[in-house]
Amino acid sequence: MSILEGRFEPGVVTTSIDLIFNWARRNSPWPVTFGLACCAIEMMATGAARFDMDRFGAGVFRPSPRQSDVMIVAGTVTEKMAPRIKTLYEQMADPKWVIAMGACAISGGPFYWDAYHVVKGVDRIIPVDVYVPGCPPRPEALLFGVLKLQEKIAQETIAKKKLPAVTVPESLPAGAPA
Amino acid sequence: MIAYLRDVWAGFLSVLYAMRVTLRHLFTPAVTVQYPTVRRTLPLRSLNRHVLTVDLGTGKLKCTACDACAKACPTRCIALVGAGKGKDRHPVEFVIDHNLCMYCNLCVEACPFDAITMWTGNFEIGAFNRMGLVFDQTALSADRFYPTPDTPALIPAAAAPAPAVAAPAAGK
Repeated sequence: MSILEGRFEPGVVTTSIDLIFNWARRNSPWPVTFGLACCAIEMMATGAARFDMDRFGAGVFRPSPRQSDVMIVAGTVTEKMAPRIKTLYEQMADPKWVIAMGACAISGGPFYWDAYHVVKGVDRIIPVDVYVPGCPPRPEALLFGVLKLQEKIAQETIAKKKLPAVTVPESLPAGAPA
Repeated sequence: MIAYLRDVWAGFLSVLYAMRVTLRHLFTPAVTVQYPTVRRTLPLRSLNRHVLTVDLGTGKLKCTACDACAKACPTRCIALVGAGKGKDRHPVEFVIDHNLCMYCNLCVEACPFDAITMWTGNFEIGAFNRMGLVFDQTALSADRFYPTPDTPALIPAAAAPAPAVAAPAAGK
């Protein structure tokens, strides 16, 4: 996710740096204070004492996107809100992750078929890392999503990744545009 | 002057009183449920991921592919294909798209054979991509007994969830 990702040759130094970076990032994914609809109530419950997202370092809801790492898109993304969400996402500093919480944020949910005013999934405007289904998801389900996100962050590396070898088919005519 | 000193003393006492409240909370057990290791007992009727129930006698799915659940679904997230005639009718493909599902329980209420249930307590279905939330028949088939609206009497722990849910509330 970050600008350093996939830039360096793999080796002892890069893996050690990965270890430190991922440890720090995994244990402090600060979310944006940002709720769109009823899922936000459940997100607040997750932040409160009973479930306590702070146990995973994710309970520090920052009032500014520039201080946050994770955007929890909690609720229905309307067409009117979509440009604002995109702006907020672009204002967040790298590295940044997105959790789509609830059926509305994932795909439009109940508004998928017959609504004119809802974006059919927040992944049409910003990239999403973890999808948490539910209507709304239980606080535990959101915590599960945060744990999944931590798994994903732990796998990030600044080393170049090996890409699968691309084979050019024999039937391609010579001089064809690549 | 006396009134001023009395105010200062009252302020000091109020701070002590407030600190007593804080101190008391220091020694009461925390209400936090340590989620990944400790799981709260869900209420019996909490709606979670669907399961296609199995007839305990024959071990086959109760579903007869009548399409009632798919027609009842407000978000049209159920798609199924049936095969066979009469008593042999069964689903060959049963897909529920949990990207769309809004957990309204209408499919369960529409089912005439008690073949689908949402009383499963399985909420841990977060995924890294949207295809990870589309469950096919293999994923949906029951691996053990799940309670359904028609069989609450069969549940051995029917009375058990109530004290388990009430216990954390009593602890605070």
